Amino acid sequence: MVLIPTGQEYRVKRLELKKTLKEYHKYSNFHDETAEKLKDMQGTNRHIIDAFDATFNPKRFEQQHKKFFTSLHISKISYDGVENGFAIYEVNTTSFLNSPKSFYDFLDAVNKTDWVVGVRFPIDFKRDAEMIKSSFTMKVYANNKDKNLTASVSLAK
Amino acid sequence: MKYSYIKPRKKSVLTQEFQLLITFFTITILMLFMTYSFLLYKNYAFEKDKAVRENNIVQLQKSLEIMKHDISFIETQKALSEKVYTQNTVLKDSISNLFDLVPSRITLSEAKLLKNGLILYGITPSKDVYNFMLHAPLRSIFNKTYSSFYPAENGWFRFVSTNYVDDEELSVED
Repeated sequence: MVLIPTGQEYRVKRLELKKTLKEYHKYSNFHDETAEKLKDMQGTNRHIIDAFDATFNPKRFEQQHKKFFTSLHISKISYDGVENGFAIYEVNTTSFLNSPKSFYDFLDAVNKTDWVVGVRFPIDFKRDAEMIKSSFTMKVYANNKDKNLTASVSLAK
Repeated sequence: MKYSYIKPRKKSVLTQEFQLLITFFTITILMLFMTYSFLLYKNYAFEKDKAVRENNIVQLQKSLEIMKHDISFIETQKALSEKVYTQNTVLKDSISNLFDLVPSRITLSEAKLLKNGLILYGITPSKDVYNFMLHAPLRSIFNKTYSSFYPAENGWFRFVSTNYVDDEELSVED
């Protein structure tokens, strides 16, 4: 009398476990696929991820890019708000350069730098003897958690 | 006095048949009990295993949510960075085109590139040279173009060229 309901319960529980295991394997496979996809994306976009994570360092930026200019001066860093969930910092820059070609090379190099930097209008080119004095604004994009940027003034010549 | 010729044998309650019967029932009950115990154990094991797997599923779901969020975040980062890099490249081409636009006979002293326009300061040998060689291409690019001239010391003309595009065009480009 006791065996029959227990046996039925056994069958029901075994079936339930099978269903749960099937569901678990489905999730497990999807989890593995998603993990693989994430890993691939992290590998492919490592430079971009690191660039958004990096705190903008004006001195390092100057060191990396002063070769394009006779002089490069980053004068001000200020928080400029949030765009699409990313913090934007505005950097005012003045520089002297020999030819427009140097500025083109600088713009190419900015796309490969350690931060996500966009050069923005207004851009002013002014003849100064045999040099071109340029002043422009750059916008540095970073993950929103990054609030560690501090205003600093530095000069690289 | 004897009433029988045979010797009476001892009789016991536990006869051989009865012992056999008892053994049979004992084994049967034992087997039933073992089966019952097995079923109870398996039911318990199934329950436990199911609870563990369900817990694993919940953990996997949480991990999946985090990974999906990470993937979405990387996609957003990638889209934004590509937009910024493209804008830099477009800017480079725009500046290059601007300087290519200026003929060798006209010398620029200053160029201000604005979001919606361009202001050029320079010197030209004559108004005609400016009008034919610089003003005409500027007019084809910008919606509003204004020019003013000031005589220079050597007989040439200093000029200020102010050029703007309509805000509607800018919003379409954005």
